[in-house]
Amino acid sequence: MSQIGLACIIDDDSMYVNLVKKIIEAKKLCKNLMIFPNGMEALDYFEALLTSLNKKCIPEIIFLDLNMPIMDGWEFLDNFTKIKNKLGKTITLYIVSSSINPTDIEKARQISMVKDYLIKPVTIEDLEAIFSNQVL
Amino acid sequence: MLKNELFNNVVRDFNTGYWELHNNPDREVWSDQFYQNLGFEENEIEPNLDYFLTDLLHKEDIEVFRDNFFNYRNNNINFKQHIKVKTKDGEYKLFRCATNDELPVNIKAEINLVFFFEIKLEPEQDISKDNFYYKETAQMTATGSWYVDFKKKRSYWDFETRRILEYPDDYIPSLKDSANYYAEDCRQQAADCFFNCAMAGTPFNTEIKMVTANNRIFWVRAIGKAVYNENKEIIGIRGVFQDIDEIKTKELRLKKSLDIIASQNSRLFNFAHIVSHNLRSHTSNLSLLVQLIEDIDDPQEKIGLIKEIRQISYSLNTTIEHLNEIVAIHTNKDQEKKAVKFKDALQIVTNGIGQMIAQSKAQIKTDFSGLDEIDYIPAYLESIMLNLITNAIKYKHPDRDPTVELKAYEKDGKKFLKISDNGVGIDLKLFKDKIFGMYKTFHYNEDAVGIGLFLTKNQIESLNGTISVDSEVNKGTTFLIEF
Repeated sequence: MSQIGLACIIDDDSMYVNLVKKIIEAKKLCKNLMIFPNGMEALDYFEALLTSLNKKCIPEIIFLDLNMPIMDGWEFLDNFTKIKNKLGKTITLYIVSSSINPTDIEKARQISMVKDYLIKPVTIEDLEAIFSNQVL
Repeated sequence: MLKNELFNNVVRDFNTGYWELHNNPDREVWSDQFYQNLGFEENEIEPNLDYFLTDLLHKEDIEVFRDNFFNYRNNNINFKQHIKVKTKDGEYKLFRCATNDELPVNIKAEINLVFFFEIKLEPEQDISKDNFYYKETAQMTATGSWYVDFKKKRSYWDFETRRILEYPDDYIPSLKDSANYYAEDCRQQAADCFFNCAMAGTPFNTEIKMVTANNRIFWVRAIGKAVYNENKEIIGIRGVFQDIDEIKTKELRLKKSLDIIASQNSRLFNFAHIVSHNLRSHTSNLSLLVQLIEDIDDPQEKIGLIKEIRQISYSLNTTIEHLNEIVAIHTNKDQEKKAVKFKDALQIVTNGIGQMIAQSKAQIKTDFSGLDEIDYIPAYLESIMLNLITNAIKYKHPDRDPTVELKAYEKDGKKFLKISDNGVGIDLKLFKDKIFGMYKTFHYNEDAVGIGLFLTKNQIESLNGTISVDSEVNKGTTFLIEF
């Protein structure tokens, strides 16, 4: 089974991030993992990438939380949509949130670049399925 | 004496009394038939206007008749009017009173005439009965009529308008000071209505606050429409005032309780959301952790993971404590309010965070001269001050020592506390909606928890107050509390 090069988690819940990181490492789901504690830091990173396009530094998959300080998931999506085409690489984006608010879910459906909306808790099987889909 | 033979005949056939108006303003000639209609002999009464107004004309008709009469005499403005005139036997007879041009026949007289056509009523169609129904309707619905005459620059009120506005029966309304009949905050509205009606003929139907003679402010439905003359010029505005104070007060009270219910409902919804969201993030982590423990074979690693449970348990407890605090606000709001001095509450707060203030070299300036105490739950006032002051210190500007200013004052009968700082400020364009949300933080400080402002807002709102914020990045932040 081939492996994904780079995945990205944007989430302020350090406990959740640690656990997912452990799962990814234990299951060897991807080679490298990038973590941002809020949308702003992630956006800064992607905007910096525009000046020196290094495809290896662009993740193939992003897990985005919604409720975050400084810049939440929605705002990140707004800004990221504007620059993602310039990155020249297909990026699959999942929203991973503990919000079960139907308006959030519906709003996410309206955004074309959101592949799916995962409600926390995610399971190990979920993660395995997502990563293996990505490779196919 | 009438010169015109034809006219004479018509008048005789009409069987109608009339007055001849001569140039001498003190003299009217009353026709024989006029005396006969009232049952008097010529020498029994004085044929002049003053006598007519004081002794013969019904008092309800005096004012209008006098105005009509003088207008006709001096300015040749024709009129017609229904009047009641007392007969010799003390009963009132109804007449339709009309001047030359108002006559149904086309005859020209060389002098001015006022005719009095007697109106014979069907037995059941008694004028006093009509009047009675009109009065009953006016009183039962508390609806008064009024008329503003632009030519004469006068306004007229009926008895009910005077009654609902609490003026005496003989009060003559003033047109010049008519704005004063409306509550101060409604004068613009009244002026707009009347102006549009007078200028463009736009009718109005509006709810407005008026002021009675006793300075009582009450709600009125004011309806008005333009009155035109035959040249389609607007010569006045006619309308009614209906006292709707009771209904309107109920409506406003209902609206207020609706607002309270809506805001409570939204808080409750918000709270349910917070509970669900905040508890879910911990339970998700717990369930992820359990999966991981089951999935991993290395016993050493398993033990390492089990230790993580302690962290989750700790976070869960913190969240539950926060939720408890919120619930406590709403159960505590019935606690007894008492007079709290701002100075005293601040003293308690600064004692508690003395070290923080000293370390940050924070300066706290106060001005409670405009308002030095307030009826409030003391613990809430302390908690509000504590949150806002510690925020100001926590988010101080890196280049300067923090200064916090507290100013309490009263304005328009409302009580305010303003707390301003010279800190880093908050970008309101980005965070306006979220500033008072739970677990929302806007700074990179590690001890930002995002619960303080949420609690502050809840405490203030539970006592029917409001809090608003104004801020500029790198300049500072001002919170304004209306109690």
